[in-house]
Amino acid sequence: MLVLSFLSWWYGPGWKQVFGSLGPRLKGVLTGFSVTQLLRTLAQPWRRIITYPGASLDAKVKAWGDNMVSRAIGFTVRFFVLLAALLVLIATAVLTIAEVIVWPLLPLAVPGCLIVGLVL
Amino acid sequence: MAAVAAGRARLSDRGAGIVSVSLNLTAPRAQEARIGRAIGSNGYKVLMIVGSLLLIGAGLLATIGHERRLAILLLSPTLACYLPATWWKRQLSVLPPSGNDLTGRLSYAVLSSLRPGVALQPQSMWAAIKDHWQARFFVNHLLISDAMMAQNMSTDPAELEYALQLATDLAQKYNSPVIDTGFITAGLLLASKSMRQLLVQLKAQETDIEAIAGWIGRNLEEAQKARRNFGGIGRDWAFGFTPLLNRFGQNVSAAITDHGANFGWMTGSDGVKAIETAFDNRASAVVLIGPDGIGKSTSVYALAQRLIEGHTSRRLAYHQIISLNATDITSNARGPGELEQMMLNLANEAAHAGHVILFLDDAQLFLGGGPGTFDGTQILLSIVQAQSVPIILAFAPNDYQRLRAQNQSLASLLTPITLQELPESGVMRVLEDSAVGLENKHNVLVVYEALHEAYRLSGRYEQDEADPGKTINLLAQAVSHIEHSIVTAASVQQAVEQTRGVKVGTAEGAETDTLLHLEDKIHERMINQSHAVGVVANALRRARAGVANPRRPIGSFLFLGPTGVGKTELAKAIAAVYFGAEGNMVRLDMSEYQQPESVDRLLSNGREEHQSLIMAVREQPFSVVLLDEIEKAHPNVLNLLLQLFDEGHLTDTAGKTVSFKDCIIIVTSNAGAQTIREHVQNGESLESFQAEFIDQLINSGQFKPELLNRFDEMVLFGPLQPKELAQVVALMMREINQTLANQNISVELTPAAIQKVVEAGYDPRLGARPMRRTLQRGVEDAVAQKILRKEIAAGDHVTLDVGDLTLSPTPTAQTEDQTPAPPAAPASN
Repeated sequence: MLVLSFLSWWYGPGWKQVFGSLGPRLKGVLTGFSVTQLLRTLAQPWRRIITYPGASLDAKVKAWGDNMVSRAIGFTVRFFVLLAALLVLIATAVLTIAEVIVWPLLPLAVPGCLIVGLVL
Repeated sequence: MAAVAAGRARLSDRGAGIVSVSLNLTAPRAQEARIGRAIGSNGYKVLMIVGSLLLIGAGLLATIGHERRLAILLLSPTLACYLPATWWKRQLSVLPPSGNDLTGRLSYAVLSSLRPGVALQPQSMWAAIKDHWQARFFVNHLLISDAMMAQNMSTDPAELEYALQLATDLAQKYNSPVIDTGFITAGLLLASKSMRQLLVQLKAQETDIEAIAGWIGRNLEEAQKARRNFGGIGRDWAFGFTPLLNRFGQNVSAAITDHGANFGWMTGSDGVKAIETAFDNRASAVVLIGPDGIGKSTSVYALAQRLIEGHTSRRLAYHQIISLNATDITSNARGPGELEQMMLNLANEAAHAGHVILFLDDAQLFLGGGPGTFDGTQILLSIVQAQSVPIILAFAPNDYQRLRAQNQSLASLLTPITLQELPESGVMRVLEDSAVGLENKHNVLVVYEALHEAYRLSGRYEQDEADPGKTINLLAQAVSHIEHSIVTAASVQQAVEQTRGVKVGTAEGAETDTLLHLEDKIHERMINQSHAVGVVANALRRARAGVANPRRPIGSFLFLGPTGVGKTELAKAIAAVYFGAEGNMVRLDMSEYQQPESVDRLLSNGREEHQSLIMAVREQPFSVVLLDEIEKAHPNVLNLLLQLFDEGHLTDTAGKTVSFKDCIIIVTSNAGAQTIREHVQNGESLESFQAEFIDQLINSGQFKPELLNRFDEMVLFGPLQPKELAQVVALMMREINQTLANQNISVELTPAAIQKVVEAGYDPRLGARPMRRTLQRGVEDAVAQKILRKEIAAGDHVTLDVGDLTLSPTPTAQTEDQTPAPPAAPASN
């Protein structure tokens, strides 16, 4: 009875849960890396340089130059973070799909390992 | 199979017929629950540890020992540990609902506690679930002991059937797919007659049980919420630095992310939605209008939570709300010029940062609306006109009206949102959440009755603030009055008594004795007038027993009669005997309020205005209010009394309400004094001509019927007779002896001397009033001379006879009948 309950969950709702976990896991990666935000602001400056009212022309020109540099820095940092996010995303997807494939084999592996170990 | 018969028909009647109330403890889900309980969290840990050790062992054998065969063999027990551990973690310990029947919906905690062999009835059900936190939450917040529960829980299986139906209905009401321990406990409390009787004794209502079930549900929901997401690592990379704002402002959003503050259901409130919609519709400045305590700041904090969690439009997502404090900014500037520059810099920084919403709490302080503040109206106008940074301003209604009147150009640029006071159910929900915060912070238990009491008493005694703020504040004050770490209704009452100086708790001990013997205690200070004493004493007893109308003053009385018969003395006696001291009396001579503008003086909210009735009662809310010679007041003043008697409160010139609900209002008048004297001299009793007399007062235009109708009682005071005057002399002699007690001297009058004093001090027009002067001259002067002549020394007891008294004829005084008539006849409505 106990084993039957376990198996009916493992090959029923349990397996379904593993399938279902793919979406939330990928969403977690996207959120954790702020992918949407980074894509939207890819070409924006890295933080903003402030000019106060009444600043001199020199200060304004310097701020403009700083902003251009800042945009380059911003793009670089965001690009590499997005790249990292992509890698983690792929890894998460691959691992989850692997889990889905391996999942039904695991209960069989208990007697399987025993038999293989004894036979070898 | 242990099964409780289904009550399908009755459930159908309630509209909840889709759920079956049959409980099958041999069903697979029930078995899984018991397996889950058997494994438990400890079993899970053991399985994981053993599995991990075996896995490590297998790895070591395969890599270092080159024993592949053994390693593969070890994988078998490793998996045998991991697989059931996974089962427990993902299924057994959670046990998600399956199906619509009771067995499919009962929570893991309930289902795993029930054994198939045990007979199911309320007592066994309670025994199974009583240690679960939800069951404890229930009984603790209702202050029900385990013994009381055990004693009142029945053994009738039919009652359990009914309890389960109620639990199912409650789960349905709160849209809960799972029927958890809280719902079952609620069902058990409501199903049994004896339990319901117990609840009545504990002053808990059926709705309270349902509310607590909902309260538990909300706590559970918060606890089960997925880890909150604040936007990930790159959230702020496109936004600017805000060093100035960090220095002079409080970053509300950062406080939420750092400290995990949670505003729960407030994030979906109407006020928060309205602010969000306004900004989505391109408003640049939103003004929140509402009295203190209504939740202006809380709405902004809840909005900050929504924004920082990204639950909003793309335009506002991850914006941070920074609250600016006018006092901090003012104290850091050296002059008005620097102040204006600082404001501009702050706004500029917020605009450039690109993700800041400025919040100006108490915004009138930025507009010169307070002592020591600066007028930043023009700066604010330029910032709002530029539309470069979203701003939220919080105003009290009066301050916003002032802004509209004084600066129409700024007001027209603001999008107003008026926050409405929550209904009682909403306030209770906020209170429940606040109570959890108080319990955690102070390590106390707040019983549910205390929440009701806080709501009731704050509504009655706190007019300057709105709900839910005022009730939350009162509940917080009640924490200082706990008993055994429990905040009860009595704690709330004590907090009110201490802060407001009123009596709200149940009368006990000495107070009960005073109330029951009030007439005797008052008669220790005054003679006769038993009817007047009786009606006032009854009014006080009604109020303290809680049977009086709580929306009106404790009592309102019109005392009519000649001067010197005890009208004022009775007011003083009540103040001294019941309100603690003669000083706990607000006394106004209404002859000083004869002009139309007198109403403004009575309602003035200025502390310098010593003639303000409203200020006096605000300072002494628990007192006797004595309004002398009311017939001389202007008709507008009398109209004001109509509102006071009807509603139990007045509103001052600044729009703030002051309650008179804990006052006894005594209004005196000498009108018709001569008529009363004539009737009494003709041998008539006061009661026999009272109705006729009142009619005369109305017909003569001295009082309007609508005013007289609003008094609880109109009492006629008759002139004192010589025998009563002798008693008055005795009372006054007691006062003289109290003064002389400092010198250890006592004085006594012979009966003949008393008679002489009465004759000398009696004036039918002035009543007992000349008596004090007579005693002063006759007795005090005589004793003073004896002391100076060394005829009396400390420790002496002196008996004065007629010859010892130094009496002279009483000087005539102006009587009430010679006083000027009121300036105008009472106005008619």
